Amino acid sequence: MKELNKEQITKGLEVFQNLADSKLVTHLNSCVHCGLCAESCIYYLATKDNRLTPARKVDLVASIYRRYFTFTGKFWPGFVNARQLNKETADEMVDLLFGACTMCGRCTMHCSIGVDIAFLVRVGRTMLSNMGMVPVTLQSTVNAAVETGNNMSIPEEEFIATLKWMEEELIDEVNDPNAKIPMNETGKKILYTLNPREPKFFPLSISAMAKIFFAAGESWTLSTKMYDVTNYAYFSGNLDEARLIAHRLWNEMGNLKAQTLVLAECGHGSRAFRWEAPNYLQEQFPFEVKTSVECIADYIREGKIRLDPEKIKDVVTLHDPCNLVRSGGIIHEQRYILDQFIANFVEMTPNGTDNYCCGGGGGQLAMSEYNDRRMKIAEIKAVQIQKTGAKIVVTPCHNCVDQLSQINVFFKLGLKIKTLAEIVADALILENEPG
Amino acid sequence: MFWYQWITLGSLGICLINSSIHLLRLVRLGKPTDFSSPAGKVSASVKYSFTGAMNPLKKESAYLHLPTYVAGIIYHLGTFLSIALFFLIWAGVNLPDILIFPVAPFLLISFACGMGILIKRVVKKGLRDLSAPDDYLSNLLVTFFQLMTGIVLLLGQLIPVYFILSGLLLLYFPFGKLKHAIYFFAARYHLGFFYGWRGIWPQKRIERDGG
Repeated sequence: MKELNKEQITKGLEVFQNLADSKLVTHLNSCVHCGLCAESCIYYLATKDNRLTPARKVDLVASIYRRYFTFTGKFWPGFVNARQLNKETADEMVDLLFGACTMCGRCTMHCSIGVDIAFLVRVGRTMLSNMGMVPVTLQSTVNAAVETGNNMSIPEEEFIATLKWMEEELIDEVNDPNAKIPMNETGKKILYTLNPREPKFFPLSISAMAKIFFAAGESWTLSTKMYDVTNYAYFSGNLDEARLIAHRLWNEMGNLKAQTLVLAECGHGSRAFRWEAPNYLQEQFPFEVKTSVECIADYIREGKIRLDPEKIKDVVTLHDPCNLVRSGGIIHEQRYILDQFIANFVEMTPNGTDNYCCGGGGGQLAMSEYNDRRMKIAEIKAVQIQKTGAKIVVTPCHNCVDQLSQINVFFKLGLKIKTLAEIVADALILENEPG
Repeated sequence: MFWYQWITLGSLGICLINSSIHLLRLVRLGKPTDFSSPAGKVSASVKYSFTGAMNPLKKESAYLHLPTYVAGIIYHLGTFLSIALFFLIWAGVNLPDILIFPVAPFLLISFACGMGILIKRVVKKGLRDLSAPDDYLSNLLVTFFQLMTGIVLLLGQLIPVYFILSGLLLLYFPFGKLKHAIYFFAARYHLGFFYGWRGIWPQKRIERDGG
């Protein structure tokens, strides 16, 4: 690619000018280059490459800010390492901010100062997005969602056929001909969303959640028009596209007149809609939004579902999805659920808000050009799982399921990878359970 | 007042004006507005951000790097102490010996910590690659400010050098990375806001009630 043009540079620098509050200026000016964040980053831990440390990523973004918006950076750029926004800088940004960061936020929690490193990486991604430099692979995933309504471009007829097939599975499993997967029904309590990976690759996770709703006697529906919980524009940094995708789900809530939107097991999807979308849209949601993890935990607390503690005998461990846990606050609910029926549960070390990313976040699974790097950093998760001695890894995130499944094959771990809904559905006690 | 005190006074004025610009900009830009429904208490989280979250047992940047962390803490304590002493020395207040003899050696230790941090930056490739001249100058100014404070307290000599060095430090403060002294507090606030709003901080212990 040739040198950046003036318009690209202007658009790239806009992120430093349109400030909503003091957050960006604060974090751009806070890093002291102590470098102590390195050991909190899976990229550095796995590769020992100094170029991949969080501090280098922060400095890359901050160096551009210094060059154009600070006195010292304007007049003595070399003295404070203030860099021009040119092709060389932008290419390095693409490699480090898209190709070497899952935006897991682990470094942020451990930063000696408190710099929100993941936030600055996202700001850097927004700069690149403004300049039209999002990796083509990631952008094509966003484009699919924008153009077709779901990031896997699944046609509506195909989706409906999958749901009907899963409904038959559900009827067999619960032994009740009245069991169903409701589609586009108005006035239900819950509108449930899906990660498009479910209808495409893991349809049994749809029937698993449907089985839980059935057992709880829930009033729910799926939309066949807008069901995609993901929002890859959050990772690409394109706010306009992120807003468009979020707005569609909001509209569907209105169309179907549901009371609560339940977000499927998807870390970034939950984060992008529950926490980020109201800010893209500059409006509070007029409806309740909760994750399926909270929903299942509530069913257990309210006695709506019962789980058989004798059903799962294997050792089980839990992978905490970064966006759900570290940036979403869902830390205890999944543990509460597993505590109800898993006899042999072993935590990973570290876990909870300290857990290591699986390596598939931040859009990495969509960016095939970084596959080698992604599988290299995955070794940390593989070792972490092996140390638990678990045979089943549960994670409430389809993105993580995908990466963990690849880890399972790549490192020959011999595991079963399950979503939370799947393992709960396996242990459900039903009234009409077939003989 | 001596000529070198006038120089320092001028530097202090420039430092205060420029630091105020940073501070006023933060105040003008203000706190974040979040349109999502909160899951926690921001005030409790901001408090935690400045207290529990700073616990060295909670941060890998501390417990995985204990020598650097301890050196950094001593170094910063030495800096705060030197700043307080600067105003006393300026005002011509003579510290009693009972205070000088613990304080001055402490400043020599904090000077050594500063030098240690500087040497680490020079020696370790990863840190060296991350560093700009600003990082070295900032360290040198603060480290030698502490040394000179100790020397002035112990020997009562090199006073013009002490004031000129203090003046340079004050002059440079708002322009280089030393200004993190202002932004640090805002960073902790924003972090507290972010994690508090989403119910992540204050962290609750993960408890198990058995399978």
